[in-house]
Amino acid sequence: MNQKERLIYLVSYLMKENAQGEGIAIEPLLPLDENQLMTMFRGLINTRLPYPISDYFLEVQDEFLQEWHSERENNTLEDMIEVDSQIYLWQGDITSLEVDAIVNAANSEFLGCFIPNHRCIDNEIQTKGGYQIRLDVAEIRKEQGRKEPIGRAKLTPGHNLPADYIIHTVAPITLGKISAVKSYMLSDCYKSVLKLADAHQLESLAICCIGTGQFGFPQEEAADIAIQTVKSYLQENQSKLKIIFNVFEDKDLEIYKRKLKVNE
Amino acid sequence: MAKRKNFFFIEKNGEEYTVSMTPELQDDVGTVGFIDYLDVDEVDEGDAFMNMEAAKTVFEAQAPLAGKISARNEEAEDSPELLNSEKSEENWLIKLTDVDEEAYNALEEA
Repeated sequence: MNQKERLIYLVSYLMKENAQGEGIAIEPLLPLDENQLMTMFRGLINTRLPYPISDYFLEVQDEFLQEWHSERENNTLEDMIEVDSQIYLWQGDITSLEVDAIVNAANSEFLGCFIPNHRCIDNEIQTKGGYQIRLDVAEIRKEQGRKEPIGRAKLTPGHNLPADYIIHTVAPITLGKISAVKSYMLSDCYKSVLKLADAHQLESLAICCIGTGQFGFPQEEAADIAIQTVKSYLQENQSKLKIIFNVFEDKDLEIYKRKLKVNE
Repeated sequence: MAKRKNFFFIEKNGEEYTVSMTPELQDDVGTVGFIDYLDVDEVDEGDAFMNMEAAKTVFEAQAPLAGKISARNEEAEDSPELLNSEKSEENWLIKLTDVDEEAYNALEEA
């Protein structure tokens, strides 16, 4: 199968499932281009609850995602500049990073993002890494028997991502209003992520701006907490972890550059 | 005389230390809808002892001091909103014994 054929298979599998096997014709999908089919696939897989899925579906999905990732450039630590001892700053898509682990800013339901084609990091990571990630986190959630508390961290394999692992953490919902409790919780997210990375003897870890996007922690203050928590953790624990502060927005890049004193 | 640590109050009565939420923490978590004590009898400082699902957050409470858990707020298990009460006899989380008094004394005054 080529990429388009794989997408048609994946989309029609999910559509058939939604229609309980009835009335889905493949013809309307044929004129669509790869991007349109990718959008459909993403929307459908985003809303699928974590039930078992056929091995063949996962096989086709993996082939599709592997090829999708190979068609673009992955980024490694070698492409980045060390801005401080063990600290790197990089702007871009976290799902393109070939590092030991990337951090996902998850939510307490801990099943991923169910909004079709939502451009949040949780959605991006689950879509580009594969449906197995949703099954992995659902298993964790089931085993612990409750929602995921704020400030803890959980590790799952990266599946189709260039990164080996994903570390999921849930930030406090702040919506612009900082409090001492929420600042403490955000710092706890970073600490738990770092501890878990060291417990698994990882060498490189890309951390997104936890808590700032949908959850609304103000970016300036979040960056202060991020940088301070990471630096003191590395020092206190003599950790050898290489940390990439992975920013996405231009505003975050500007903030981190300023706070990390990066000269152009 | 109460002390505080990480948004908990700790109040010493004889050999027993009662841990409760500060108003600040109560505000930030919102109305508590569900609590679940972990199956632990002894905690180290920083160990999780309960989970709480509240309107604004899902929160794992961690022990401010090491000790033995001598009591849990069983009424709050049935009526979790008691934890949002202003009254300390209603909003407490756990009672600890076998606490190192020096560790307690070293905490910040409430």
